[in-house]
Amino acid sequence: MREALVEVLLLGAAGGLLSAWIVLRRLAFFTHAAGSATFPGLVAADASGVSPTLAGVAVALGYAGAVERTGRAGREPGEATALVLVAALAVGIILAGDVFESSAAVDRLLFGTVLGLAPVDLALAATTLVLAAAGSLGLGRAWAAVAFDPEGSLALGLPSGRADLLLLALVAMAAAAALPAVGALLVAAVFVLPGAAARLLTKTIPSLVACSVALALAQGLTGLYAAYWLDLPPGPPVAVIGAVGCGLLALGRTT
Amino acid sequence: MRPAGARKDDVTEQAVLAAGLSAGYGGRPVLSGISFGVAAGRTVCVLGPNGGGKTTLFRALTGELEALTGRVHVDGQPAYVAQTERTRLDFPVSALDVALMGSLAHGRWWLPPRRSQRDAAARALDRVGLGEHSGVPFGELSGGQRQRALLARALVQDALVLLLDEPLSGVDPASARVIDALFGELRAEGKSVFVSSHDVESARRFDLVLCLNGTQVAFGAPGEVLDRATLEATYGRELIVLDSGAPASAVTIQHHAHEHGAHGS
Repeated sequence: MREALVEVLLLGAAGGLLSAWIVLRRLAFFTHAAGSATFPGLVAADASGVSPTLAGVAVALGYAGAVERTGRAGREPGEATALVLVAALAVGIILAGDVFESSAAVDRLLFGTVLGLAPVDLALAATTLVLAAAGSLGLGRAWAAVAFDPEGSLALGLPSGRADLLLLALVAMAAAAALPAVGALLVAAVFVLPGAAARLLTKTIPSLVACSVALALAQGLTGLYAAYWLDLPPGPPVAVIGAVGCGLLALGRTT
Repeated sequence: MRPAGARKDDVTEQAVLAAGLSAGYGGRPVLSGISFGVAAGRTVCVLGPNGGGKTTLFRALTGELEALTGRVHVDGQPAYVAQTERTRLDFPVSALDVALMGSLAHGRWWLPPRRSQRDAAARALDRVGLGEHSGVPFGELSGGQRQRALLARALVQDALVLLLDEPLSGVDPASARVIDALFGELRAEGKSVFVSSHDVESARRFDLVLCLNGTQVAFGAPGEVLDRATLEATYGRELIVLDSGAPASAVTIQHHAHEHGAHGS
C-alpha cells in the first residue's frame, strides 16, 4: 500500500503538470490512444517475460512518433489515432485470449492494480515527474506559443516541430508510466481530467498548471482511498472521481 | 532562420524578393510564376480572390512552405499574423501574454520572460491602443482588439518584414484606424509591411500592390496596377464594377462563399 501511495503521488504530480499542456495543445484523444495502443505490447511482454512497463514505454513512444509524422505530413491525425486505438484493443484481446487462462490478468492490464507494483514502476513514474517538471519550466513558453498559434509561433523562429515532438513523447511516456496503476484504458483519467477541470477554473497558464496538479493529487489520493476500502483496482475510482468533478464544474459554469 | 531557398550570399537591395517562385501543398503548386522585389520601408497590399494564393505566399515567405521552384529571400525572420478567426479564443492568455510571445523570437525562449521583455510587450500594447486592456483574456477582446493584440506580438518580435493576413477584415472602425495608422508608422521605421486584403479601395493607400490569382497577375504602384483589366484578371467573375467612370473607382468583390449575395467591400 505504501508503494501505491508513492506511485499515486508521483503520477498525480506528473499527470497534473502534463494534463495542463495536454488540454492546451488539445492532445486528449492522443493521450487516451497512447495508453490503449500499448495494450497488445503489454500482453506480448507478459507472455514473453519482458517487463510490461518497459514494453509499454517502447510502444507508446513509437506511437507518438507515428502520430507526429502524420501531423507533419499535414494530415488530420484524428482518424489515424482512432484506427490505431481500435486495432490495438482488438489485437490485444485476441493475443490475450491465447496467453491468459483467466480474465483477471486482462483486467489488471486494462484497469490497473495497487498490488505488486515493481520498483521499476515507481522509478518510471519518478522519471516522468522529473521530465514533466523540467519540460514545463524550460519548454512551457514554447509549448504555449505553439498551441496558441502554430503558424505564428513558427514565424517567431521557435523550433516548434521539435518542441511539439518532445511534448508528444513525454505524454506517451507518461501514459506508459501510468499503466501499472491505472491500466491501459483509463490513463486519460490521470492525464486529461485534471487539466480539463482546471481549465474551467483558471484564466492564466501558471494558475492552470498549479490547479491541475492540485486536482490530480486530490483525485489520485481519494481514488486510491476508495479503491482500498471498496477492494477495487485504483483506475476506476480515480476516473470516476475525476470525471464527476470535471462534470460538476462544467455544469456549474453553464448554469 | 531563413526561408528555404534563400541563399546567404544573396546580395540584394530588396528586403523581400521572390524569383520564379511556386509554392503549394503536397508537391502541387497553388501559386506559381511569382517574381517581385520589395525594398525596405515599403507597404504592399496583396489582392486576390479566396484561394488565390495570398496565404500560401505568406507561408512561403515565412519558410513554413518550401519553394517548389524558384527562390525567395526575406530580410531576417518575418513576423506573421494569421487571420484572427484561426486563433483560439479558449486559450488562457491575456493580451499582455500574447504580446509577450513576440519576445520568444529573441532567443532564450527557455527562460522566463525578463523585465525588459515585459516592458516591451506593454509598450507594444500601448502602441496599438490596448494599454488599458493588457490584463483582459484574449478570448474576451473584440475581433479588432484581438487583431491589435496579435499586431502587438509582431511589434515585440521587431521583425524587418511583417506579413499580415487580412488584418482589416471584420474589425471595428476604431481598430481599423489604429491598424491603418500603424502601417504608416512601420513604413517610416523602414519596415516592409505586406497586407493581404479584399478591399481594392484601401489598396490605393499602399506603396505597391501585388495581384494574385494562382499566379502573379500584376505588381506595381497602385496607379499602374489598379485598372479594370487587371482587377478582372485577378478576381474574374467575383468582380463587380459599380462606377465605370474613373478607372475602377468603386469596385466590390462578390464572395461566392457568402450566401444571399453578401458583398465584401
